[in-house]
Amino acid sequence: MAGFLIKRLLQAIFVVIAITLLVSFAIRLTGDPAVTMFQGGGSMTEDDLARIRQALGVDKPFIVQYLDFMKGLLTLDFGRSFVGNTPVAGLIGAALPATLLLALISMVVSIALSIPLGIKAATARGKSADQIIRILSLIGLSFPNFWLATMLVLLFAITLGWLPPSGMDSALTYIMPAVTMGVILTATNVRLVRTSMLETLQSQYIMVARAKGLSESKVLYKHALRNCAIPLITYFGLQFGGLLGGIVVVERVFNWPGMGTLAFDAVGARDYPVLQGVITVLSLMIVGVNLLVDIAYGLVDPRIRTE
Amino acid sequence: MKTVGIRAAYMALAMAGTAFIALPAMAEGKLTVSTPQDPGSWDPIDTFLVQWAAVATNIFDGLTYRGPDLKLVPGLAESWEELDEGKRIRFHLRKGVTFHNGEPFNAEAVKFTFERLLGEQGAKGPQRSNYVSIDSIEIIDENTVDMKLKAPDPVLLTKLAGYGAMIVPPKYIAEKGEDFFNANPVGTGAFKFVSYAPKVNIQLAANPDYWGGAPKLSELDFRFIAEPSTAVAELQAGRVDLVLPPTIPIGMIDVIKNDSKLELVSVPGPTVDALRFNTKSGITADPKVRKALIMAVDRATIIASILAGEASQIASFQGALSFGYDPEMKPLPYDPEGAKALLAEAGVKPGATVQIDIRGNDATMNEVAQVIASYLQMVGITATIKPYETNVLLNDIIPQGKTGAMFQQKWGGWTFDYDNTAYSMYHSGEKWNPYDSDPEMDKLLESQRPLTDRAERERILKDIAKYAADRALELPLYNSNAIYGINKRVQGFVPAPDTRLKLNEVSVN
Repeated sequence: MAGFLIKRLLQAIFVVIAITLLVSFAIRLTGDPAVTMFQGGGSMTEDDLARIRQALGVDKPFIVQYLDFMKGLLTLDFGRSFVGNTPVAGLIGAALPATLLLALISMVVSIALSIPLGIKAATARGKSADQIIRILSLIGLSFPNFWLATMLVLLFAITLGWLPPSGMDSALTYIMPAVTMGVILTATNVRLVRTSMLETLQSQYIMVARAKGLSESKVLYKHALRNCAIPLITYFGLQFGGLLGGIVVVERVFNWPGMGTLAFDAVGARDYPVLQGVITVLSLMIVGVNLLVDIAYGLVDPRIRTE
Repeated sequence: MKTVGIRAAYMALAMAGTAFIALPAMAEGKLTVSTPQDPGSWDPIDTFLVQWAAVATNIFDGLTYRGPDLKLVPGLAESWEELDEGKRIRFHLRKGVTFHNGEPFNAEAVKFTFERLLGEQGAKGPQRSNYVSIDSIEIIDENTVDMKLKAPDPVLLTKLAGYGAMIVPPKYIAEKGEDFFNANPVGTGAFKFVSYAPKVNIQLAANPDYWGGAPKLSELDFRFIAEPSTAVAELQAGRVDLVLPPTIPIGMIDVIKNDSKLELVSVPGPTVDALRFNTKSGITADPKVRKALIMAVDRATIIASILAGEASQIASFQGALSFGYDPEMKPLPYDPEGAKALLAEAGVKPGATVQIDIRGNDATMNEVAQVIASYLQMVGITATIKPYETNVLLNDIIPQGKTGAMFQQKWGGWTFDYDNTAYSMYHSGEKWNPYDSDPEMDKLLESQRPLTDRAERERILKDIAKYAADRALELPLYNSNAIYGINKRVQGFVPAPDTRLKLNEVSVN
């Protein structure tokens, strides 16, 4: 297990270096933050631009800038935002919990919904309950998240006036963003649970369990669900990465002060340090979650633990 | 038990009543404002963002003040006089003014502010370049300062009313440090800073000791909402009272007009749109072709239909509020037949192509460009539209001269002075002027810069506009209105063309 962990850890470090290098390099090809800062400022001279570039540190060669960034990273110093000179670590510190909370709530909602629905669909295979669940999930899958978000706002915030349209202040503000993320996740997960369950239910040990006279719920939840947990855990883990990506759009619509909003604004302003910081933290997290998934395998499946 | 409860309720009611009567001057009410961007720092020298000014106008004051009527009036300076042929301005400061932290406002604070702006700290930000005509500040006495200039600067007094020239507290910054000041601004303005959560909001409270009179509101909450539909939804839900420009797109105007609780208020703003030409190569190198392309497009119809009338037609690259605007100057007429004749004269065959570069995220311009393309089609020119991400267009495509034959330029200087636009657009070697180099134009532009004689300078600026139109350097499109969405419970709101709103006279029902 220790050797395995070290190997995965080294892999993770390599992935993070590759990603930050790519991101830092790519964003520097798309424009000069000094020019962006002068927008609306009227005439600017080359001297002005040079002065700003020097203050921002973007006059140095790319490799020096990148190494400075990596050096700071070791002490969790992400540098300072080009917009307002705020320490990036502080901005991420404020945004990360907002995003994680939203991602976590939507995942919990989706798992809580998709497991019973998926099992129901699998056991009622071909019957009307299965058809309804499958059609609903197809509809859920076909919604683009920004569209669903806008429709929810229109209905619940404007027409009915039950929920606040955006922001993150009261518990009520969590409902629509979590539902938007949750619906789309659930739609995928239901199908996954159903397929995985169908496969398991055909195994001989299920037949044995039934033959022993176990109650149907014991068969389903104790014998079948545990066995189809492996692909589900892998998938939920991988999904977390996708979730963080999809959250950018949802955060923007709901004006959620999370990592997506931070990244979106940083791209617009060519705020290199913020963008590098956000991407680094997110990639570390995705890599970390995948590592946890690997460890979780061992916990769920004793065969992997002993290997 | 029951009677006690009722009595307590009566007592509370009575006490509330007394409190209400006892404090008639103390204003009540909170106004929530939606603004599209968080500037990240509240330090006046750090930014050019209009969204900074929309908030900070309530926190800081300058020596001069320019409100929604765009007239320059005394601010922290009660009066001023120009000495040494415009190379020295003497300011007589307002007495008895204090910063929100209790520090006195005096000549020392003025000196500190400008030395900071022009010194090491200012060098890190973009604002300094606006104030380089200032040579030094001399303290005459506690309430008088002299501003020595390197050369006369006719726009300086206007510039002193905003942005980098906001007066900041010397002791506070020295004690708390620059970083702290960025996130905890202190000024002399109508509202005091309360709290700031990056990307969420900044909250202000009334400054009852404000030299211009206590504000009518007790609290101001500026929320940063980037997405237009989200801002409008918040307005409709009653959680936001005022949506600042540039947020509400033309397409959402009806949503606000159709809501009985809301009102749409608009005023001509500083922003002008034009399609500029590549005057160096291709068919648009010929002024006849450029004129033909202008005449081929029915600009009035575009404004009436696509911009829902929320814009006015322009003859030069400036709006009617701009200093240097000439009401006598008329745009080239819409004349497709004349355009065809000009094109034939220039030897341009039907089927010739032009590329129009626009900002991809500018929904209005995307529609406008399509209409322009079909107008051009009618005179035999095939136009292709190329949308760019805004920053790429501004940082790379325009300055590097990599545009198509026509490219969108959106411009709006808060000083409302045509010099700001014309110099950047037409002077040789300027970042925004990749194609044109005209000694005649350079001479005109340079000749008006040091003039403090307003009439003479205005005359030259008008000449510049005429000269640019004669050479058909751009296809002038329109001057957009600044559009505010507002809840009807807000009273006394006056829209500002430049979004620099001082909300001390506003109240809520």
